[in-house]
Amino acid sequence: MAERPAPSPALTQARDRQRELTDAYYQELARTDSGRKPVAYMLVGGNLAEIVRSFGYELVFPEIVALNCAIKHASLPNILNAEAQGYGLDVCGYVKNDLGLQELGGLTPFGKIPPPDLLVCSFSGCYVYVKWWEALAERYGVPLFMLDVPYLREPTPRKEEIAYVTAQLEELIALLERTTGRSFDRAELVRTLGASRRAEEGWVDYLHAGRQRPSPIEAYFEAVFYMFPINVLRGTPEAAEFYALVNEEVAARVREGQYPVPEEKFRVVVEGVPPYPSYRTFWDFFRRWGAVSVAATYPKVGGLFDQGFLHDPSRPLESIAEYSVGAYVNEAWPLRRELIASYVRDYAADAVVIHGIKSCRSFTAGQGDLRDWLLHERGIPTLYLESDHEDPRYFAPAQIKNRMDAFFESLKPASPAAGGTP
Amino acid sequence: MTLVAGVDIGSTTAKCVLLDDGNVVGKSLAPVGVELVRDAEKALEQALGDAHRDRSEIRFVTGTGYGRFKVTFGQEAVTEIGCHARGAHFLFPGTRLVVDIGGQDTKAIRVGERGEVIDFAMNDKCAAGTGRFLDVCAGALGYDVAEIGALSLEARHPLKVTSTCTVFAESEVTSYVARGKDPKDVLAGLHASIASRSFSLMQRVGVAPEVTFTGGVSRNEGMVRALERKVGLHVNVSPLSQYLGAVGAALFGAERLSRPATGGS
Repeated sequence: MAERPAPSPALTQARDRQRELTDAYYQELARTDSGRKPVAYMLVGGNLAEIVRSFGYELVFPEIVALNCAIKHASLPNILNAEAQGYGLDVCGYVKNDLGLQELGGLTPFGKIPPPDLLVCSFSGCYVYVKWWEALAERYGVPLFMLDVPYLREPTPRKEEIAYVTAQLEELIALLERTTGRSFDRAELVRTLGASRRAEEGWVDYLHAGRQRPSPIEAYFEAVFYMFPINVLRGTPEAAEFYALVNEEVAARVREGQYPVPEEKFRVVVEGVPPYPSYRTFWDFFRRWGAVSVAATYPKVGGLFDQGFLHDPSRPLESIAEYSVGAYVNEAWPLRRELIASYVRDYAADAVVIHGIKSCRSFTAGQGDLRDWLLHERGIPTLYLESDHEDPRYFAPAQIKNRMDAFFESLKPASPAAGGTP
Repeated sequence: MTLVAGVDIGSTTAKCVLLDDGNVVGKSLAPVGVELVRDAEKALEQALGDAHRDRSEIRFVTGTGYGRFKVTFGQEAVTEIGCHARGAHFLFPGTRLVVDIGGQDTKAIRVGERGEVIDFAMNDKCAAGTGRFLDVCAGALGYDVAEIGALSLEARHPLKVTSTCTVFAESEVTSYVARGKDPKDVLAGLHASIASRSFSLMQRVGVAPEVTFTGGVSRNEGMVRALERKVGLHVNVSPLSQYLGAVGAALFGAERLSRPATGGS
């Protein structure tokens, strides 16, 4: 039997490079564990990577460590350890993964995660996250900086809100000067923000490619891999270079007619955090129906750059403050739902699929109402599914598949029988 | 003559319906075990026996239900959600809402004018409000599940069963029995409890007449009355209600045959 030809390197370069960057990052973290660099823990939403990195800190994002544990089927032992410590079934899976991991020595399949020297709680909209950071501060006895971000109720933040966050950023800088003994280098921050902006522009180009038909990108399952540099490496030259590479690959896909879903039948917008422990299974449930996600909200938790915001090096602190306030999960539901409806319109989607996760109220609470609003107010077919992003015990494949099959059957324009369940 | 079969492999029973030019000519119903492929085969053979027809006459077989992929001799698999909608519309063309209570699932399905699914909602990861819930509670009262519906209609002072969990509801039932309460009053409470849970699902997709009740629990007269009381509308049922998933599957097969070939896959 003839072997299948290997895909052209132009069609695999982005994924290969993403793996290299991820591996290099975790290897660097493992080396950092020997005390080479101070380590700051930070949350993804509205993160202050550029400021903290400019003081020489290595950054750890425990949410990203947790999702990597889950996708590698390594989250459950950490979660069980946290439950043995007394954390309840209803506590966020990210939190339990991290607190279990800390207790188990920080060992993951992708390297050792060093303990923090500084804790920056960059998103305080989630009360569980606040308690998580406090638990870490108590465990390690290290400084804790809590950024209080006003909830965004209007499309544009008020100037008082930006001033309030900017003042806190100045407090953070003062803390960083004290903890490192280094002076704030404004020019370095401006340079870093310039690199961030280049990465953001490239990321936005990638995301906008979902508007094409067929879509040359998978805006949820694939974008989750490609969001790593924009979340973790933002401000480094590697991040900007990565997105240039990704966009070269997207162009090659169009040129060679190679699309994520070879026969695109349904274009969907996906809302919600993925079920990482069953990531491939969940993805397959879409692919079997020829469904491709053309836009999604979750890959934008690290910034709604596609909505026009880009870091502005000429106004460094104000720009970072605007970024923090505009984090997706910091937005009120009327803003979130209008965003999703606009994706359906602008990306010519057929439907919305919402994946709620039982352990995250800040992302998930309100998704039932969102479903009803999209369906009844906007006439957009919408499916709501639920499992968890971290805990494999909550993913029921037969039930989820059954709901998805029934949903895609009902989307068929002429007859639900056409093709049947694949 | 176009003989088509619908085979519905549910969590508790296997149903098969044979349709010939849109008429039900044979059917079968049997409990499922762990050998679902064999159960599906058996269901088909029994339906053929009922119809006095030969297997070679069948033009199309559609599988449905949780075990639809075990209907290995079928040409297609369609979810039971689509099939119950289509089956209910076939029997009661005015159907706009289907409530299907089976062994492990309760579903509310909004149906369009052509029997197509508009929206649906299901119970999630919990057997409360399903046939299994009734099985367990009937057992706790020492009755067979087939007799409890009629008994529930004889209640004089229906009791409230508040628990939303099958296991806790069983404890609640046992506790009522220990306190000397009339089992018929307890049964009325159980039926009202299921009706209430089903009504929540129905409200999620929108209640509209006509309402058609399908699935195994639709044979329970007490449940039909309890639903009607809760919903405030007449609820369609028929001796074929338990078979409507299989009927819908067979209809999909018939429709498939009637569609002109496109040359596509």
